[in-house]
Amino acid sequence: MIRDITIGQYYPGKSVLHNLDPRIKLIATFWLIVVIFLCKSFFSLGLITLTAVAAAALSKVPPKMILKSLKPIVIILVFTAILNIFYTQGGETYFEWWKITITEKGINTAIFTMVRIVTLVVISSLLTYTTTPTMLTDALERILSPLKVFKIKVHTLAMMMTLALRFIPTLIEEIDRIMNAQKARGADLETGSIFQRTKALVPIFIPLMVSSFRRAYELAFAMTCRCYTGGEGRTRMKQMKIAARDIVAIVVCTAVTAGVIVLNIFFDAVI
Amino acid sequence: MSFAIETVGLTHYYSKGTVSQVAAIDNVNLQINKGELAGIIGHTGSGKSTLISHFNGLLKPDSGKVIVDGVDIWKDKETLKNSRFKVGLCFQYPEYQLFEETVYKDIAFGPKNMKLSENEIKERVLRAAEFTGVKAEHLNKSPFDLSGGEKRRVAIAGVMSMQPEVLIFDEPAAGLDPRGRADLINLIKNYRNQTGSTVIIVSHSMEDIAEMADRVIVMNKSSVAMQGSVDEVYSKGDELRSMGLNVPEITEIFAKLRSKGIDVPANVYTVEQGAEILRNLMERRSEE
Repeated sequence: MIRDITIGQYYPGKSVLHNLDPRIKLIATFWLIVVIFLCKSFFSLGLITLTAVAAAALSKVPPKMILKSLKPIVIILVFTAILNIFYTQGGETYFEWWKITITEKGINTAIFTMVRIVTLVVISSLLTYTTTPTMLTDALERILSPLKVFKIKVHTLAMMMTLALRFIPTLIEEIDRIMNAQKARGADLETGSIFQRTKALVPIFIPLMVSSFRRAYELAFAMTCRCYTGGEGRTRMKQMKIAARDIVAIVVCTAVTAGVIVLNIFFDAVI
Repeated sequence: MSFAIETVGLTHYYSKGTVSQVAAIDNVNLQINKGELAGIIGHTGSGKSTLISHFNGLLKPDSGKVIVDGVDIWKDKETLKNSRFKVGLCFQYPEYQLFEETVYKDIAFGPKNMKLSENEIKERVLRAAEFTGVKAEHLNKSPFDLSGGEKRRVAIAGVMSMQPEVLIFDEPAAGLDPRGRADLINLIKNYRNQTGSTVIIVSHSMEDIAEMADRVIVMNKSSVAMQGSVDEVYSKGDELRSMGLNVPEITEIFAKLRSKGIDVPANVYTVEQGAEILRNLMERRSEE
């Protein structure tokens, strides 16, 4: 039941994508996402989709896993497709009945938006499939470290994120346990009006809050015992180094961006 | 006569349908007699906790049946719901399930879910509080202000107040000091003797089980490996060791005494028993 929720979907592997510097991966992902939104024609979108597919193949993550990451957005996909088909008008009319008209432009926009969303999800899930949450927050800390100039505690924020991610599975387990305990006392969590069901969550959330605070205190204490004083003077066991493959990744991103811009100029815009 | 709880071919898989599918319990056929105090023992991961989560329908069997008092609990929704009240389940570290503003309200949570009258609820709460030794002046306190041991008593009272026909404890003494443990064992024994209800204790502590149980059920590798009286099961030390269990320390000490030629019985499983025998032995020797 609640245990089946997977967050932090790292897929262990040794592919080129896994070995890329997490900083570069993070930057490249955001870069490519911006490029997706620069696409105006089917050809430029095709180029970036192709890039995404190539990256997926390079990552050696099974296609089944990548398709699984698309499952939660199926409803959004269908919804946007329907909206686009009915509300975008123009070009040849294929179908007309009562107030519904389906046009060439409507269908094109629907397909375009769907491919765009799918590519977006594939690219971002590739990042989480090939990078552990710890590596990600580490990378984020490094990328954001210039913000220290503005007295923003980047290290503390990154540590908070790491800890939050670390405790998600623990909390899920805890919820599961508390739910079972209250169900054993006859708590009814599944039936009744929304109001009743919300009220039924009180016996779950109060013990959860109590134990979360307890855990937080224990963790803080354990960290203090190991002389944790924050980011200052802290060194790392795993140093991040930019390698040749990272430079290749950046070059590929630049090339794709250039390609998209050129294809945008030479072919008709869909939207 | 029907059994208090009976399982027929009970099987439950974890991660069903994936490559990592494992049977947590595999074809378990078990009978718990009415009024007995049964101990279920097994090493970590032997399927004990999964098994008892089936007894009140928290987990749905992948195949097989759970029959409580002659009725299959998965027959319909109503039966399932009632099985929660018929079979009280007290989890490990039950104090973490406390949530109400006052101790009284927390103990009343179960009876309230049973939709009993205000008077009946009050009567049951007071009775459960008395059984568990929760002091009357604590009833209007917040459960979070109590000590660890007191919290556990309150949590146990919260399950007892449903007055279930079968009461199951999962590692009741976990994390308690020796005094707390002794008190708790007495509490469970008294409860059983005074109400005559069926009690099931799940534990990996051979000592705890030896002190309480009429009958021992040994779980190993997802199924029932042995069952019988304490004497029958505990005399098979080698078999127990092969299942990652052990006989109680006191039994080992007595086995060593025997191997040194001292005439003591082999079936000593609790410290009280052992102390008594040693005292007698010493008295006899000083007389000689």
